[in-house]
Amino acid sequence: MNQMTKPTPESQPPMLRAKDLTHRVRLENDTLTILQGVNLEINRGESVAIVGRSGSGKTTLLGLLAGLDTPTEGSVELDGATISQLSEDERAQLRASRVGFVFQSFQLLPALTALENVMLPLELAGIGDPEKRARELLERVGLGERLTHTPRQLSGGEQQRVAIARAFASEPVVLFADEPTGNLDNRTGQAVSDLLMALNREQGTTLVMVTHDEHLAARCARQFHIEAGQLTEPNELGEPVS
Amino acid sequence: MAAEQKLMSVRRDWRERDVRVVLAALVIAVATVATIALFASQLQRTLVTSASSFLAADRQLEAENGRPIPDSWLQEADARGLETGQMVEFSTMVFGGEGFQLVSVKAVSNEYPLRGEIEVQEGPDSPRQLVSSGPGPGEVWINPRLLRLLELEIGDSLEVGNLELTVSGLLIREPDGGFRLSALAPRVMMHKDDVPSTGVVQEGSRVEFVYLFAGEEAALEGYYEWLQPQLEPSHEWEGVRDGETFSRSLQRAERFLLLGGSLAVLLAAVAVAVASRQYALSQRDTVALLKTLGLNGAGIGRLYLRRLLLWGVTGIVGGLLVALPLFWLLASMLSDVLERPVDISLDPAALAPALLTALVSLFAFAYPPIRRLRNVPAMRVLRSQPGESGREAWPDMLVAIVAIFGLVWLYAGELALVVSLLGGLVLLLAALGLLGWGMVTVLRRVRGGGNAWRLALVGLYRHRNASLSQIAVFAMTLMLAATLVLVRTSLLDDWQAQLPDDAPNHFLINIAPDTVDEVAGFWEGQGQPLEELYPMVRGRLTELNGQPVKEAVSKDERIGALNRELNLTWMDSLPEDNEIVEGQWFADGDQDGVSVEAELAGRLGLQLGDELTFTIGSEKVTETVTSIRTVQWDSMKPNFYMAFPPGGGLEGLPATWITSFYLPPEKNTALNDFSRQFPTVSVLEIDHIISRIQEIVQQVTRAIEAILALILAAALVVMAAVVSATLRDRQREGALLRTLGGRQSLLVRSTMLEFAVLGGFAGLLGVVAAEAAVYALQFRMFEGSFSWHWQVIIPIPLISAIVLSLFGRWQLRPVLSVSPMLLLRRLE
Ligand SMILES: Nc1ncnc2c1ncn2[C@@H]1O[C@H](COP(=O)(O)OP(=O)(O)OP(=O)(O)O)[C@@H](O)[C@H]1O
Ligand SMILES: [Mg+2]
Repeated sequence: MNQMTKPTPESQPPMLRAKDLTHRVRLENDTLTILQGVNLEINRGESVAIVGRSGSGKTTLLGLLAGLDTPTEGSVELDGATISQLSEDERAQLRASRVGFVFQSFQLLPALTALENVMLPLELAGIGDPEKRARELLERVGLGERLTHTPRQLSGGEQQRVAIARAFASEPVVLFADEPTGNLDNRTGQAVSDLLMALNREQGTTLVMVTHDEHLAARCARQFHIEAGQLTEPNELGEPVS
Repeated sequence: MAAEQKLMSVRRDWRERDVRVVLAALVIAVATVATIALFASQLQRTLVTSASSFLAADRQLEAENGRPIPDSWLQEADARGLETGQMVEFSTMVFGGEGFQLVSVKAVSNEYPLRGEIEVQEGPDSPRQLVSSGPGPGEVWINPRLLRLLELEIGDSLEVGNLELTVSGLLIREPDGGFRLSALAPRVMMHKDDVPSTGVVQEGSRVEFVYLFAGEEAALEGYYEWLQPQLEPSHEWEGVRDGETFSRSLQRAERFLLLGGSLAVLLAAVAVAVASRQYALSQRDTVALLKTLGLNGAGIGRLYLRRLLLWGVTGIVGGLLVALPLFWLLASMLSDVLERPVDISLDPAALAPALLTALVSLFAFAYPPIRRLRNVPAMRVLRSQPGESGREAWPDMLVAIVAIFGLVWLYAGELALVVSLLGGLVLLLAALGLLGWGMVTVLRRVRGGGNAWRLALVGLYRHRNASLSQIAVFAMTLMLAATLVLVRTSLLDDWQAQLPDDAPNHFLINIAPDTVDEVAGFWEGQGQPLEELYPMVRGRLTELNGQPVKEAVSKDERIGALNRELNLTWMDSLPEDNEIVEGQWFADGDQDGVSVEAELAGRLGLQLGDELTFTIGSEKVTETVTSIRTVQWDSMKPNFYMAFPPGGGLEGLPATWITSFYLPPEKNTALNDFSRQFPTVSVLEIDHIISRIQEIVQQVTRAIEAILALILAAALVVMAAVVSATLRDRQREGALLRTLGGRQSLLVRSTMLEFAVLGGFAGLLGVVAAEAAVYALQFRMFEGSFSWHWQVIIPIPLISAIVLSLFGRWQLRPVLSVSPMLLLRRLE
C-alpha cells in the first residue's frame, strides 16, 4: 500500500504542496496563531486523513489547502499552481474546475432541489448538459428517486449523499472533505464513507479528509496528526517524523 | 419567569435584524397615517371655516318674504349657544354730491360678519385693510365706483331715504358678497339700527332679511332640526356645503388626502405585515426550542402576544413622535395663507386609523404563524421545516387582507375607493399568476452556465416562489405609489388649467346692448380683450309641467335657485368648458327648448321633455328641456343655469350683457377711465379672491407633495423589508457559489440581472395596476378624464429595475468582501 505513496516521477509534481504554512488571525487585542510552520506534500490519487483534537486547526488547514483562504505566511501549490499568487477570480476558476468539497454540515442550498444542487457546480464550470450528469451522479449515490426533493425533505445521510454527488459532479482532481460523517450516526456514516471512498477510487481523485472517525482515517493511505497548529505524520512505527 | 422577562426585553429584540425592520415599518406606518389623518382633519376644518367666511357665518337663514323672522327663533339660537347676526338687504335710490343712483343696500348688525372679514379703504389712495365689523350707526361705506359716479369724497354725506349718513369708508370686499351677480347696483353698507329711520323699508317692499348663525356643528344641526318644521317656503337655510362654488378645489384636495391616507394605510400594512411575518417565521426555531424546554403552547402564545403588544406600543409612540411635529409644520403652513388663521388642533379621532393600522397589521400577519406553531407537538417541532407551506398560510393571509381593506374602508368611508384599489390589486394578482405560470414554463428550459444572463434566469426560476412574492409586494407598492403620483399630477394639472395666471379676475355686468361693441372696443384698446359676452335676462322658474314649481318639487329639497332670480341667457354655441350629458345642443336655426345645468336638473328631478315656465318681469315664457349640461362653476367666466337658443324663448325681452376678463394689477387705473366712460356698467372685482384661491392651492399642493414624499418613504421601507427577508438565504447562496468556484463578477452580474428582471416586471405590473385604479378613481372621485400616462408607464419599470438591481448588489456586499472560508464559518 505504501508503494503508491512513495516517490513520484520528477515530471509529475505533487498534487498539493504546503511550505512553511502559518496562519494567524487578528483578534481584538492580540493575534491568534492557528497554524504554525506546516509542511506537507500529497501526491496524485493519494487519500489523506487529517486528524486531531477539536480546535487544533484542521478546518483552517483544509481551507488553506483548498484555496478558500490565503495563509499569513508560506505557500500552497495546488496542481502546480501557487494559490497565494492567484487573484480571487483565478482561485475561483481553479476551484470550479479542479476542486470538490464535502462539508460536515452538508451546505446544500435549501431553495434548490437535490438535482439543482448537484447541477450548480456544473453550471458554474460551464460543463455541457449539467442535468444529465447530475442525474447520473444522484443515481450513483442511490438518490435517483429523490431528484426533485429539497434538502428539508431529505434526511441527514441523504443530504450528505447529495453533497458527495455535488462534489464529484465536476470531476475534480482533488476533493476536500471536512468531517463528512461528523453529523451522522455510525451506520449512516459508514455508508457515506463507503460511497466517498468508492467514488474516489473510481475517479482517481486525490482525497484530503478531516475526520474524527478512526475507522475512516484508517481507510486512507496516509494520516496526518495536527496538534495546536502543528502537523506530524506518524511513520510506520507510529512515531512522529521530525 | 425570569427567562420570559429576558425574552421580552426590547433591547434584546433590537439586536435582531427582523425586529428592527418591524419596528421601523411600524414607526413609518404610524407616522404616515397619523400625519395625513391629522392634516386632513385640519384641512377639513380650515375648509369649512374659509368657506364659511363666504357666507359670513356657518349658516344663513334668508327670509325673502319681506318679513323678519319671529324673535323666538333667534332666542332659541341664543339658548343653544349659537352666535347670531342680522342683515337687511334692499335696493333704493341714494342722493349725494351731484346726483342720485340706484344702489343695493346691505344693513348689518354689530355682529356681522360672524366669519371672515370685510376689506375697506379709508380713502381712494389709502391701503386696503381688513376689519371684523361693519360701519357704526350714522356711517356708511360705499363702493368706490359710487364715489366716482356721485363725485363724492370721504366725509361727505349720503341720503338714504329720509336719513343722512356720513361716508366714512370705501367698501372693497365683503366676505359674503363674492360671486353674487344679483348685486348689480353699487353696494352701500350701513348699520342695521339706522334702517327704520330711513323709512325705506315698509310692509310689502322688496326686502330680504338675512340671519347669520355660527357655532359648534352639533349645535347648528340641532338648531336646524328644531327650526325646520317651522320654516315657510320663502325661508332658505343655507350651509357651507351647498354654498357657492369656491371650495371645490379644496374639496378635491381633501379627497386627495383621503386617497393618500388610504394608500398610506395599505402601504403601512404591507410593510408591517411583510416584516412581522418574516419575524414570525424566523422564530420557529426558537419556539421549537422553548417547547422542548417545557414551555407549553399557551405560554408561548402569551409570550409572543405580549412581545407584539410591546412593539406595537413602541412603534406607535415612535410614530407619533415623528407625526406630531410634521403635522404641526404642515398645519402652520396652511394657516399662514389664511387671513384669519384657523386654530391648529389635534383631533384625537384622527389618530385612531394610525393605531388601528399598526396593531391590525402587526397581529394579523405576525401572530398566525406563531399561533399555528403552538399546536405542533414538541417532537415534530424539532423535525419540522423552518419554512411554511403556502396552503397553511393562505387562510390567514386572506383574513388579514380583508382586515386591512376593512381598515381602508373605515378610514376613507368611500366604497368606490376601496373597490378601485381592490380592483387594481386583483388585476395585479391575476397578472402575477399569469407571470408565475409563464416563468415556470419558459424558464424551466433555461440551463445555467458560466453566462450571467442564464444564471440569472435560472436563479429566477429556482427562487420562483420567493421571486413571485417579492414581485407581488414590489408591484403592489409601486402601484400604490404610482396611483398617488398620477392622481396628484392630474389634480395639479386640473387646478393649473382651472386657475391659470391670467384667469379672468373682473366681471363686467349690466352692459347695455347698444354699448356692447364700445365696451369690447375699450378693453381691446387696453390690450385686455374680453372673454365671450353673454346676454343676461333675470327671471324666476315658476312652473314645472304646468304645476307651480314649489309644489312640484318635494318639500325636502330647498333649492336656492328657486328662490332667487336666475340668470338666463341665450347662446348659439356651447361654451368650451360646458359638456352635454343628456339630450342635444341646439341645432343651427333651432328656436325652441332650453338647456339646463346638470346639478340643478338633478335636484329638481328634471327630465328631457319637461316643460319649464319662467316669469320674467310680467312675462311668462314656457319651453321644454332639450338638453342637460355641466358647467365649470369655478372657471371665473359667466355661467348660466338656463340657456336658450338665439331667437328662442328670451327673444325680445330686455337683456343686458355680461362678461369677464383678466386685468393685470398694474393696469388697475384703467378701471377708473372705464367707469367714467361707462358709468352704468358694473365692475365686479374678484382678483383678490382668485389670488387667495391660488395661494391656498399652492400651499395645499406643497402639503400634498410633502405627504407624497412620506408615502414614497413608506414604499421604500416596504421594499427594504421584502429584500431583507431573503437576505440570509441569498448571502448563504452567494458564499456557496463562491466556494464552488463562481467568479465574483459572475455572481455580481447574475444577481443584478436577476433583480433587474424582478424589478422590471414588478414595475410594469405595478404601473398597469395603477392605471387601472386611477381609471376607476378618476371616474368616481375626481371627475377628471382618463388617459394613459406614458410618462410613468415607461420610466417606472426602468427605475424599479435599476433600483432593485442596486439593492441586489448591495445585498452581496458582505459576500464579496471576505474569503469564502470566513463566510462558511459564519454560516455554520
Ligand atoms: N476567523 C477566525 N477568527 C478567530 N478564531 C478563529 C478563526 N478561524 C479559526 N479560529 C480558531 O482557530 C482554532 C482552529 O479552528 P479550526 O476550525 O481550524 O479547528 P478544527 O480543528 O477544525 O476544530 P473542529 O474539530 O472543532 O472542527 C479554533 O480555536 C478557532 O476558534
Ligand atoms: Mg473543523
